[in-house]
Amino acid sequence: MASAPTSKYNSHSLENESIKRTSRDGVNWDLSEAVPRLPGETHVADKEVIYICPFNGPIKGRVYITNYRLYLRSLETLSSHWHFEADACVFQDSALILDVPLGVISRIEKMGGATSRGENSYGLDITCKDMRNLRFALKQEGHSRRDMFEILTRHAFPLAHSLPIFAFLNEEKFNVDGWMVYNPVEEYRRQGLPNHHWRITFINKCYELCDTYPSLLVVPYRASDEDLRRVATFRSRNRIPVLSWIHPENKTVIVRCSQPLVGMSGKRNKDDEKYLDVIRETNRQISKLTIYDARPNVNAVANKATGGGYESDDAYHNAELFFLDIHNIHVMRESLKKVKDIVYPNVEESHWLSSLESTHWLEHIKLVLTGAIQVADKVSSGKSSVLVHCSDGWDRTAQLTSLAMLMLDSFYRSIEGFEILVQKEWISFGHKFASRIGHGDKNHADADRSPIFLQFIDCVWQMSKQFPTAFEFNEQFLITILDHLYSCRFGTFLYNCESARERQKVTERTVSLWSLINSNKDRFKNPFYTKEINRVLYPVASMRHLELWVNYYIRWNPRIKQQQPNPVEQRYLELLALRDEYIKRLEELQLANSAKLSDPSTSPSSPSQMMPHVQTHF
Amino acid sequence: MMFFFLFSVSGNASNPEFKKKKNSECLLRLRHEGLLNSCPAGVASCPASSCPFRSPRSPRLKLLESALLLGPRPTAGGMEFSELIRTGRAQAELLRGPGAPPLRGTLCVTGHHLLLSPGPQATSDLWLLLLRSVDSIEKRVAGDSGTITLRCKDLRVLQLDIEGVEATLDIARSIEALSSLESVITSFPFFYRPKGLRLGDAWHFHPPEHYYKRVARETNAWRLSEVNEDFSVCPSYPRAVIVPRAVDDDALARSARFRQGGRFPVLSYHHAPSGTVLLRSSQPLTGPQKRRCAEDEELLRAVLAGARPGARGFIVDTRSAQAAKQARMTGGGTEAKAAYPGWKRLHRPMERGRPLQESFVRLVEACGDLEQSMDRWLSRLEGCRWLAHVKEALSTACLAAQGMEREGACILVHGAEGTDSTLLVTSLAQLILDPLSRTMTGFQELVEREWIQAGHPFQLRCAHSAFSHARPKHEAPTFLLFLDCVWQLGRQFPLSLEFGEGLLLALFEHAYASPFGTFLCNSEKERCLCEVRTRTHSLWSGLNQPKEQRKLRNPLYVLNPLAIWPSVEPQSLRLWQGLFLRWTRPPEPSEAAWEKVWQIVTDKEKTEGSQPTVSASEPQP
Repeated sequence: MASAPTSKYNSHSLENESIKRTSRDGVNWDLSEAVPRLPGETHVADKEVIYICPFNGPIKGRVYITNYRLYLRSLETLSSHWHFEADACVFQDSALILDVPLGVISRIEKMGGATSRGENSYGLDITCKDMRNLRFALKQEGHSRRDMFEILTRHAFPLAHSLPIFAFLNEEKFNVDGWMVYNPVEEYRRQGLPNHHWRITFINKCYELCDTYPSLLVVPYRASDEDLRRVATFRSRNRIPVLSWIHPENKTVIVRCSQPLVGMSGKRNKDDEKYLDVIRETNRQISKLTIYDARPNVNAVANKATGGGYESDDAYHNAELFFLDIHNIHVMRESLKKVKDIVYPNVEESHWLSSLESTHWLEHIKLVLTGAIQVADKVSSGKSSVLVHCSDGWDRTAQLTSLAMLMLDSFYRSIEGFEILVQKEWISFGHKFASRIGHGDKNHADADRSPIFLQFIDCVWQMSKQFPTAFEFNEQFLITILDHLYSCRFGTFLYNCESARERQKVTERTVSLWSLINSNKDRFKNPFYTKEINRVLYPVASMRHLELWVNYYIRWNPRIKQQQPNPVEQRYLELLALRDEYIKRLEELQLANSAKLSDPSTSPSSPSQMMPHVQTHF
Repeated sequence: MMFFFLFSVSGNASNPEFKKKKNSECLLRLRHEGLLNSCPAGVASCPASSCPFRSPRSPRLKLLESALLLGPRPTAGGMEFSELIRTGRAQAELLRGPGAPPLRGTLCVTGHHLLLSPGPQATSDLWLLLLRSVDSIEKRVAGDSGTITLRCKDLRVLQLDIEGVEATLDIARSIEALSSLESVITSFPFFYRPKGLRLGDAWHFHPPEHYYKRVARETNAWRLSEVNEDFSVCPSYPRAVIVPRAVDDDALARSARFRQGGRFPVLSYHHAPSGTVLLRSSQPLTGPQKRRCAEDEELLRAVLAGARPGARGFIVDTRSAQAAKQARMTGGGTEAKAAYPGWKRLHRPMERGRPLQESFVRLVEACGDLEQSMDRWLSRLEGCRWLAHVKEALSTACLAAQGMEREGACILVHGAEGTDSTLLVTSLAQLILDPLSRTMTGFQELVEREWIQAGHPFQLRCAHSAFSHARPKHEAPTFLLFLDCVWQLGRQFPLSLEFGEGLLLALFEHAYASPFGTFLCNSEKERCLCEVRTRTHSLWSGLNQPKEQRKLRNPLYVLNPLAIWPSVEPQSLRLWQGLFLRWTRPPEPSEAAWEKVWQIVTDKEKTEGSQPTVSASEPQP
C-alpha cells in the first residue's frame, strides 16, 4: 500500500554516524580489528545477540564489550530505504553500528525469564543517561545472558566492584594538555584582580575552610581571614560569599555562596551582615547590594526548617533580596524524564507541542535564563553588585553565575574561555558531578542525580541559537561535552569537588576532555563567529523563542535527521578556512597600512573587532 | 526594510493623487526626493481611445463587466482618488513597535500611500506605507487627539498618534476607503514607475513556453498546446499548456468540459531521471451518475504510454475519500478505477479555504498577544494547527515526489478546483526533486509557472491577511503556507536552496500588497484584460536588481543534485519566527549573522574571483 506513514522520508540510519565520529576523534582504529579501541582499552567479551532497534526492528549482530564501551555491529547488511509500497525499512551495504561508552549506562535489567515465550522476549534492557535505551535479545538456552549481564554490570558500574573508572586506565596522548587550560590566578588576573578592593586568599589551601570550594578564593580586601572563618559558620557547608566575576568598567561584582543558616528561630550573624556590607562597599555607586536567591520563595522559607533560609530585610539593611523561582534538582530530574518519555523510542506525534509543554522542560530553561539575564542586567546596567545563592550554592547558583558571565564577558564565548568558565564555575566550585551524574555508580534511582549541567548546556545552546555569531564554538562542541560528561573517558567531570580530585590525583592520572577538544579545535568552531569585545548578550527568554534542542534530545531517532551532517559540516569547515584566510589578509593589510599611514583606525570597522585579543577590554 | 519603500520615481505634478493637496510643502519634498509618482495613462485623464479594457492583442476578448475591472468608477473618465481623501495633513507620531524609534512629522494621505514627512531638521527619511497593505484600521479619540492603529497585511502593527480629533477621523476614513479599493487598474502598480526598470522587462522571463523547451530536450512525448489561446477552454489556465503529444486539441477541449473550471490534466513537471511526470488538474465532473469522458481517459492513458512501457500512475486527491464522494452530489467527483486502468487513487485530505484562513488568523493572534501568560504558549501554538497544515502539505508533496522518484510512477494531483492545495503539492514536490527549482531563477520560475500562470486566484485569496474584521469570503493563505513549507525545507537543508528567507518574506509581502503587477488578478486571462504585462512592472525585474541580491540569496548555497527529503515529524517543523514574530522581536542578531556570512563568502570571491565550490556536496547514500 502506498499509504505508508509519511514519517519515514528520512532514510538514513543515524547509528552509522558513530563510525565516523570515533575515527574523527583521533582514536587509533586498526582496521583489522573488529572494534575501535582506545589506548588502554581492553577487550572483555563478545557475543552474538539480537539488537532490538526501536527504529528498524530486530537486527542480528555481534556485541563486543571492552572495559570502556559496548560496541555492536550488525551481521546483516540492510538498506535503510523506505520502500514506497512495502512500508519497510531495508538496509543497504551499511552495517548498523552501536558504539556506547559504558559510562552512559544508568541501569541494566534482565527482561523476560527462562520460560517466557514470544520472539526476542528474553534478554537485557539497558537504560542510558543520554536519552536512549538499548535492548538486546539472547537465546534462552543455557542462561546465555548471565555472562553478559555480569560483565556489563561489572564494567559499567566499576565503583560497586572496586574497579577503577576507565579514565584512570585511558592511555590516550594528545599534543595539548587540557589540564593547563584553567589557571585560577591567570583567570583572575585577566579580570584585573587582585585590585585594591579584592584580594586573592589561600585560606582554603588545604580545604579546611570549605571542603567543596577551590583552594584559591577572591574575597574583599577589607575582610580578614578571621572574618571569613566566622562567616563560614553561618553559611551552609561553609560556602562563604566569594567573587566570581568583576565588571571591568564599573567594578560591580558577581559573588556566589550558599544560603545563610537562619533556621526556624531566625538566627542572625553580625559577621555575615558586616561581610555583605563590605562587599557592597567595594563599589561606591550603589546603596544596596542585590541578593538573588535562585529558589522559589516558598522553598526558601521551607529551608528554614532544616536550618537554612534567606537574608531577611531586618538583618541586612543594605541589601535587596529577589527570588528567581527556579526549582530544585528533583523537579528538573522528573522534567527531563518526561522529555525522554515523549521522545524515545517513539516521538509523541499527535500532540507534540502540548506534550512538550507538559514536561515543563522549556519552562525551566526559561526561568534559568531569565534569572541569569536579571543578574547580568543588574551588574551591567543596574551598576549594582550581586550576590547569588540557592541552598548549597552548587547547582542553581552555578547555572546563574556562569550564564550571567557568559552574557557579560565575551571572553567566555570563545572555546578556551568556555572551557575556563566550566572549569571555574562548575568544576572548581564543587558542582557535584559525581553525585549528579553517578559516574560508575549502579544506584540508578539515587535522588542526588539530576541533569543540572545538561540544563546549563541547553541554555548555552539556546543563546547560541539566538546569537549565531557570538560564540566561537558550534553545536558539536556542546554535544561532545555532554557525551563525555557521562563517558568516563576523561577525568574532567569526575568527583564532586576539587579536594576529592586532588586526593585522587585526577590531573596526573587522567586525561582532560579539553585535550581532546583543543587538539582538534576546527571541528568545534563556528565559522560565523565574530569576535566582539564589549557586547552584553541578552537572549530573549520567552517561550516563543525557546525551542527543544532536537539535535541533542532526539538525535537517536533517524526520522528526525535533516540534511546529512557531512555536507553542512564540510561547508562550515570550508567557511572557517575562508574566514581565517580573510582575517590573515586583513591583518597583513593593516600592517601594511599602519606602516604606510601609521593610522590603522581608517580601515573598515570589522578588522579591529576580529583581531585576536588576549584580554577582554571593555 | 520593506522592499517597496525603496522606489524612486521621476515626478509628474499632474498626478491626480496630489491635485488637491494643500500641502505643497510635502509635495515639494516628495518631488525633491524623486518619490512623486507619475501616472502614464493617468486614470483621471484617461482618454476613451486608450481605454485599458481594449486589448489589441486579443480582439476576440469581450469587455468583461466585472467588479474586478470596474471597481468604484464613479465618473466617466475614471475616478478621482482625491474625492476619497478627506484631509490634507496632520501632525502625528508614528510608533513602529520594538526596536524602531518613534517618528514625528507631518502625516498625509495620497491616492496610494500614507506619508509621514519628518520636520526639515530631522535626519530620518520620509516614511511611506502603501495603503493597499493596510489590513485593518482602528481609531480612538480622546481629548483633542486621536490614535489610529493600522494592522498591515505583512503582519506589522503600526500606531499613529494624531493631533486633532477631526484630522484623526478624516485620516482614518480616507485610509479605510483607499485601502479597500478593489479595482485592479487603478491600483498602485499601474502608476509605479521606478528608476532603472523598464516596463515590459522580465515579463517574458518565465512563461510556460520556456519550461516546455526544457521538457522537449528531455522527452518528445509532450507538446505545447495553444488550445487555450483565447482562454475559452479554461479561463484560469495560461494561453499555452504542455500536454501529451498523442492527444489533439479537440480531445483536450472535450476533456476540459469534463473537468471543473475546464482545468484538464496538464504537465506540471517532468522528472527526467525516472522519466515520469507530475500532472495537475481539477476534479472530474462525474456527478451522481458517474459520468465518464473518453477523451479524458485517453489523455491519462497517453500519459502512461508516453512515460515508459508498463508505467503506473497515482492520482493524489487532496480531499478525503468521503469528501471526494460527496462532491459527486454537486456535480464533481473523482476518477473511477475502472475508467482509468493503470491509475490508482490515493486520498490525502488537506485543509483548505476557511479553516486554513482561521488557522492563520489564530496563529497571528497568538503571536501578537504579548500580554498573555506564556506558560501555555506551546499548546496554544498547537491549537492554531498551522504547523499541522505545514506537515500535511509537506508530506503530501513527499508522497507525490516519492511516487515519481522511487516508484517510477506518474502522478496526477487534484482536489476540487485544482487552484489551491493542488498547486501547493505540485510546487513542493518539484522543490524536493528538482535541483534547478532550488536556484534563484528556478524558484522564481516555479512561482510564476506553478502559482501565477497556473491560476492561483491571488486577488481573491490575498484580499485580506490575518487582521481583517471583514468576514472572509475567498481568503486563504495557501501561498503563505507554500512559503512556510519552503522555509522549512531551507531550514532542514541549509545549503540546498540558492535563495534565503529574504526572498520568501518578499514574496509574502508582495503577494498581499505590492507596487509590482506580478501578483495582480486571479488568472492570466484577467491579467491580459487589465494589460498588466504592459502597464505594470514585474516583481521579478524588481527583485533581480543587483542591489537586492544580498537580502535574497543564501550565501551558503551549493548545488545539491539530489532530492531533498524533508523530515515531516512535528519535532522537525518549527514556527517560522522570521515571519510570524518578525515585528515583535529584535531582528538584529540574525541579520548580523546573515551579513557576516555574506562577508565571508564574498571576500573569498573577491580575492579569488571565483564562486566557492565544495567538493563534499557529494551524493548521500
